[in-house]
Amino acid sequence: MSDNLEVRGCVLPLSLHYSVGDHTWIRLEDDGTALIGMTDVAQNLAGPLLHAKPKKVGATRKKGKPVATVESSKWVGPVKSPISGEVVAVNEDVKTDPTVINRSPYKQGWIVRMQPSDLAADMDGLLTGQAAVDAYRERIESEDIKACEHVDGFEI
Amino acid sequence: MALDLSGRQYAHVDYDEKERLFEEVKGDLRYDEYLYGCYECGICVAACPSARFYDFSPRKIAQTMAREDVDLFYTLLNDSVWDCSQCFSCDVCPRKNSPGGLITLMREVAVKNGLASAQEALEGYGRVVYKIMATGTQVSPDMLQANAFPDWGPHVKDIAENLEYWRKALPPESMNTTETSWQVDDKTIIELYLIWHMTGVMDMIKEVDEGLFMILQDVMEEKLEDAGYDVSFD
Repeated sequence: MSDNLEVRGCVLPLSLHYSVGDHTWIRLEDDGTALIGMTDVAQNLAGPLLHAKPKKVGATRKKGKPVATVESSKWVGPVKSPISGEVVAVNEDVKTDPTVINRSPYKQGWIVRMQPSDLAADMDGLLTGQAAVDAYRERIESEDIKACEHVDGFEI
Repeated sequence: MALDLSGRQYAHVDYDEKERLFEEVKGDLRYDEYLYGCYECGICVAACPSARFYDFSPRKIAQTMAREDVDLFYTLLNDSVWDCSQCFSCDVCPRKNSPGGLITLMREVAVKNGLASAQEALEGYGRVVYKIMATGTQVSPDMLQANAFPDWGPHVKDIAENLEYWRKALPPESMNTTETSWQVDDKTIIELYLIWHMTGVMDMIKEVDEGLFMILQDVMEEKLEDAGYDVSFD
C-alpha cells in the first residue's frame, strides 16, 4: 500500500495526524516535539501564498488557537494549532518564501515546531491513516472542495 | 441570476425570526431618516449602477420596508443587499429616502446575526477586511497577483514578480510599501485598534469569520499590550 492517498488530487500522507476541520497536520518527532503544517487541501484553497507569519518562539498556544497567519492575494486565515503547547521553533524558510508551503506542504513547508503540553488528550481529536483520509474525503465531497492543483516542483 | 422573490427558499425559516431581524433594522436610530415613504417613481433605480448589472432594485428595498413585508424583507436581506455598491446614487430620491442607507442597516443586521448569506458574501473580502482592520489601509499592492486578476492581462505576472521595483519607481516616500498602500504611523494604528475595541466592530467580525477574528485579536492585543494598554477582545 502506498504511503500516501489522494482525494481529488489532494495528497494525504498516511503517517501524519490530521485535524481535518482545520486543514492542519502534525508529525510527532522522536524528541517529543511535534511539527505542524497546512495540508495539501489547505494550500490549494489558499492559492499561492504571499506571507506566512508564524508565532514567535516561546509563545504558548492552546489547541485551536492560531500558530501562524497566512495570506494569499485576496485571502487571509489562521493556521490553527491541532495541539496545546509552546512554540519551540519556527520555519524561517516559510517566512522568507511562503510558497514553499505550496510546493512542499508536508516537508519543507512545516510551519512551527511545538513542545506539547497535553499531547495524550489532544491526540484524541486527531485522525491518522485510513480514518483520516475517509474523514477528509467526506469533508471534501460534502463541501465540494475543488481538486488540488500543484505548482512546479511540488513534492510529497 | 434572477432574484427569486417567491420566498419559497426561506419558507423553512420561522416568521418570528424574520420579524425579529426586521424589527432590528427598524429599531436602528438612523432608520427614520432613511425612509419617509415611497412614490414608486423609480428614480432611484434609474440612478443605480448596480441595477444595470444585477437583478437588483433600490426601489424594492424602500417599498418592502415601507409596506413592512417581513417575508420579502428576509429574502432581500439574504439575496439582494450584497448586490448594492453603496454608492448612494439612490439618495437622489425626491421623497428623501435613502435605499442605500436602508441597505447599510440591513447589512449590519445580517452581519451581527451571522447570516450564512452574509458570511458567503464577505468570504472573498477576508484579506481586504484584515488589511483595513490591522493596518488601516484597505488594499495592498501585493494583492495584484496573476491568479487573482487574470482579467488584467498577462503583464500582471511581471508586475507581481517585480512589485518591489515597481513601487520604488513611484516618487513619494510613503508609496514604496508593498504590504500596505502606504506607511501607517504606529500612533494611528493604536488609535484604530482602540476604536475597533470601543465600537464592538470585532464582535461583528467574530460572527461572520471566526478565523479572521482570531488573527486580528492576536495582532491587536499584542500591539496594544506593547503600547501599554490592557485590552482584551474576548
